[in-house]
Order: sequence, then structure tokens, then C-alpha cells
Amino acid sequence: MDHRLVRSVGVTETDTLDRTVSGRSWWERFEELYRSSRDDVYAYVVTLLRDPAAAEDVTALAFERAYRRRRTFDRRRGEERAWLFGIARNAALDELRRRRRTATLVTDPSEDVPDADQGDGAEVALRRTAVQAALAKLPAREREIIALKFHSGMSNAEVARVLGVSESNAGTLLYRTMEKLRKACNATA
Amino acid sequence: MRLLDQDPIDPEIAATLDAIDGTLAGEPVDARYAELAEIALLLASDRPQLPAEFARSMDERLGRRFAPAPDSAVLVKAVRRGRLARRFWVRTGALAAGLALVVAIVVVAGGGGAGSSMSSSSSVPAVLSAPSTSRSAASSSATAGSIAAPTSSSGAAAGTPSRADKAAASSTAAPSASASGSSAPQVLQPPTTGRKVVQSAQLNLTAAASRIDAVAQEVYDVVGQVNGIVNNSSVTQGGANGYASFQLSVPSASLPQTMSRLSQLAYARVASRTDNTQDITNQYNATASALADARALRTSLLKQLANAATTEQVQSLTAQIHDAEASISSDEATLGRLNNQVNFSQINVQINAGTPPPPVAHKSGGFGIGRAAHDAGRVLTVAAGGALIAVAALTPVALVVTLVWWVGAAVGRRRREQALDSV
Repeated sequence: MDHRLVRSVGVTETDTLDRTVSGRSWWERFEELYRSSRDDVYAYVVTLLRDPAAAEDVTALAFERAYRRRRTFDRRRGEERAWLFGIARNAALDELRRRRRTATLVTDPSEDVPDADQGDGAEVALRRTAVQAALAKLPAREREIIALKFHSGMSNAEVARVLGVSESNAGTLLYRTMEKLRKACNATA
Repeated sequence: MRLLDQDPIDPEIAATLDAIDGTLAGEPVDARYAELAEIALLLASDRPQLPAEFARSMDERLGRRFAPAPDSAVLVKAVRRGRLARRFWVRTGALAAGLALVVAIVVVAGGGGAGSSMSSSSSVPAVLSAPSTSRSAASSSATAGSIAAPTSSSGAAAGTPSRADKAAASSTAAPSASASGSSAPQVLQPPTTGRKVVQSAQLNLTAAASRIDAVAQEVYDVVGQVNGIVNNSSVTQGGANGYASFQLSVPSASLPQTMSRLSQLAYARVASRTDNTQDITNQYNATASALADARALRTSLLKQLANAATTEQVQSLTAQIHDAEASISSDEATLGRLNNQVNFSQINVQINAGTPPPPVAHKSGGFGIGRAAHDAGRVLTVAAGGALIAVAALTPVALVVTLVWWVGAAVGRRRREQALDSV
């Protein structure tokens, strides 16, 4: 969350991740992308899959794929983070498909609800529990947008890039999901 | 990718999103967004944490540049899938390229015959357009006299004469080959085993008016090389109507060689060529037989003369011997003439001013820069044609592959998105 890649402005030529740019070798750039995105990718994937073990595999697979496909990155089509999250998303969806085929529930959804006791007051703890419960009940598509926005710290534009929709569409989806969460929390309360 | 929605966002939604972004940035928000702001903060604080063990494992993978770990089933499967996919596309591409290559080779090879035919014809374009120089279906030999001389094309000339000879009981079949339209016509060699065959040829050449004398000199040179004789010649030089004609006698054994050389003169191209053969075996044998009979008769008459007792007998025998000797002389002259016709072939060469031959000189099949450039041009033309055919054959294959890839990618995307809806 602390490290963010500096956005390039006015880039006209194709910039792939296997080139040296601004004195930084491709490996340094990739390493920086890894450092800045590793936790975010994991948070996104685990929220989407609700299976920490599978999320670890998928996260590792996403970085491995990104490393192998570094030549396919084109800055004109988006930032490195959005590109990386696109790869992670595909890997996560493939995992979801695989799970659907095998029809096995690896983990009980209730297990991945984080511990509500984070030193908050009782009221906040209750509120947190309500939010966690509401999030757990959301469909994967809506959970995904929450994960991208709040767990991976993406802007609406980046969320739109990852999902392959327009920014306004992503904003609308986020708004509706938040409203849904709010209503669910109120209903719980 | 889903279609991009360019509709402007609703102002209320935009304001809510701004409030959420402001909350995450630590900025104060309007009270009406307090509830959403609280949820946003709770969601952000509930971010799943990366397990420390996994973080170390990931760092190690980064250290070895993400070489697939053998204990990760997902990674191994993914790598295996990737290899299979790469192998599939490589094989598909190789198969498509191979098919295109085969098609190109088949097409080029199929058209190769036509190409070479066109090549030999193109060297004498005037011939192809001139009706008088087209291959004749049947003609009579000018030297055959009363003998019908069926004319065959050059392709059939080799086998026709022997059959004609067998059938020539009372008349002599004289196959005549007429060839035109080639700069270096095929040299015809009729079967002459044990037969007396008279050969002759007519060659019409076209040369630039300014080159008539040079071509005439080349004709002289060729005749000299084969120990032939120029019976008569006429060379008219000057203006646009240059003309030359030659009546040549060359040893029959050298006829094919002579015709080949005359057909490949440097500054002339063949407009038409006619090869004639006439089998005179029967005529020759009849004359030889008559000569033998006459000689036998004279011998007999001389014996009778030696035994003659009366003056009348002597006078009568003397007159008969005189007649026999006259017959012998005549038959010997006829045989000599026939032998001369068999041993020496007549070639009539005519050179007319016309379209200049191409600048590429092809002296007796020699290999020069010009010819090399010509051949290189042909090779490049054929190669370009082959490449064009390959492109034409590859294009639909590429389109199909692209379509399959596109459909496959679309189906894959759709299935992935469906996976989200099923959870």
C-alpha cells in the first residue's frame, strides 16, 4: 500500500516490462512491481476465492505468469498494476472454474471471516462483524470489486481496467455494492 | 473484454464515490455519507494479511525468478498447460506452413511446364503471331516430285518415318518435320538405318536490319566449321528491308549440328524452321539394279561380240553395246546424284529484317552476364510467384486460425466470467 509506481505521462512508444526505462533495468522494475503489489494481489485473491491456501497458489501463479509474460505488457493499455491484477484475476477465475468442475468446497466461507476483535470498542466490533458477514454473503462479482477497491487500494480507473469495463461502469458497480453492504449491515443491526 | 460504457456517471453516484475516496484518503466527508464512510474504513481495515510464511516463500521465488516450484500442483499444471498450448500452436503453425508450402510447390510445379513453354515461345514473339510460321499440318516436300510427303510435327517425327518406310512399297514416304516458334528448335534426326534418306531444311531467321551482314557472316562461319558449301547466297544490306538468302550444302552427318548452330546465331532469332526428309531407297535400289543389269548386258554383248562371225552381227552387237554403255553412264550419273543428295543435305537459309532480337546474346549456348541476368530474373519471377501463391494459400489458413483463436479467447473469457456468477 505504501509503494506506488509513478504514473508515466505522455508515453508514446511501447513500454514493456523487459526493457530498461529511466535507468532502471526490467528486473528492478519487476521487483518494484512485486514489492508494491504482492500483498494487494493476495488480499484481492483471497477475498475472491475465500480460500487462503488456494489464494497463495494463485498469487504465486499470477506473479510467475507476469514474469513470463513481461514482454506482453504494454503501458499504452494501462499501468503495470492493472496488468498484474488482470493476470491475477484470470488465474483466480480459472481456479474458481476448476473448483466448480470438481464441485468441492475447499473452505467453509465462515472460516475466512477475519477475527472481529481488533481492539475496537464493542460497538465497532459489532459493526465490523456485520460488515464482514455482509461481505461474505455477497456474490463473487461484488466481492471482487470490494477487494479491488478496499483491499488492493485501487482507484476506480484501475478497477475498471482490471474488470475490463468503463470507469463509470466500475463506479456504478461499486456504488451499488456499497449500498448493498450498507443495507445488509443495517438489516443485521 | 466487455464493451466499454461511455455513459456519464450519475452525479449522486459520483458524489458517493468521491466520499468513499475521501474517506480512504483520510479526508472529512459530508455527514450523509457517514455510514458508507464507516463501512469503507471497516472494509479497508479488514484487508486480509499475507501470511508471513507465504511472504517468505514468495520472496524466495522472486529470488530464483519464479522458477516453478516442484511442490506446487497449480504451478506445475499451469506450466504443463502452457507447454501444451505452445506445442499446439507451434504444431498448428508448422502444419499450416507445411500445407501452404506443399500447395505452393504443387502449383508452381504444375505451372512450371507452362512457364518453360512460354519461355521458349516468348523468345520469338513474332513467330507466335505470324500465321505463316505456325506449324503446318501437312505439306508436300518441294523435292519429292511425285512422292507425297506427309509432314509431321516435331514430336511425331521420330517414329513416323520407319512406319512410312515399311509402307512405301511403290511410293516413298518422306516425313517432313516443320518446327517453328523456338529460338533453338529441337534437332531432328530421322532413322536412316540401311536406308537412303535425303535430308533438307529451310530456316527463316529474323534479325535487325543493321545486323543482316553480321548474321550473314555468322552463317558463313557455321558453314565453314562443318565443311559445308555455300551454293549461292544473296545479301542485301541497307534501309529497313535488309534481306539475305543462302543455299547451303552440308555433310548430312553434320546437318543436326549445323541446324542447331544456325538456330542459335547471336543476332538472329528463328522465325520458322522446316526439316524435310525423303526416303529414296527404292529409287536408289532400282537405279543400282538397272546399272547392274546394264553392266551384265554389256559384258554379255562383249562376249557375243568376240564370237561374232559376220559383219552384220558385229554391227548389231556394237550398237547394243553402245546403248548399254549409255544406259550404264546414265545410271551411274543417277546413282552419283542420289549419293550426293544423301551425303549432302541442302539448307535454305533466309534472313529477313524484323524485330531486333533481345540484347541478350546467346552464342551457341554460352553463359554470359546477360544470360545470367535473364536467368536470375526468371528465378526471381518464379520465386515471387511461389511466394505469392504461398501467401494466397496461407491467408485463409491464417484467417481460420485467427478466427479460431478469437473465438477460443472469447469463449475462455466468457467461461471465466461465468465462474464468478456461479460462486
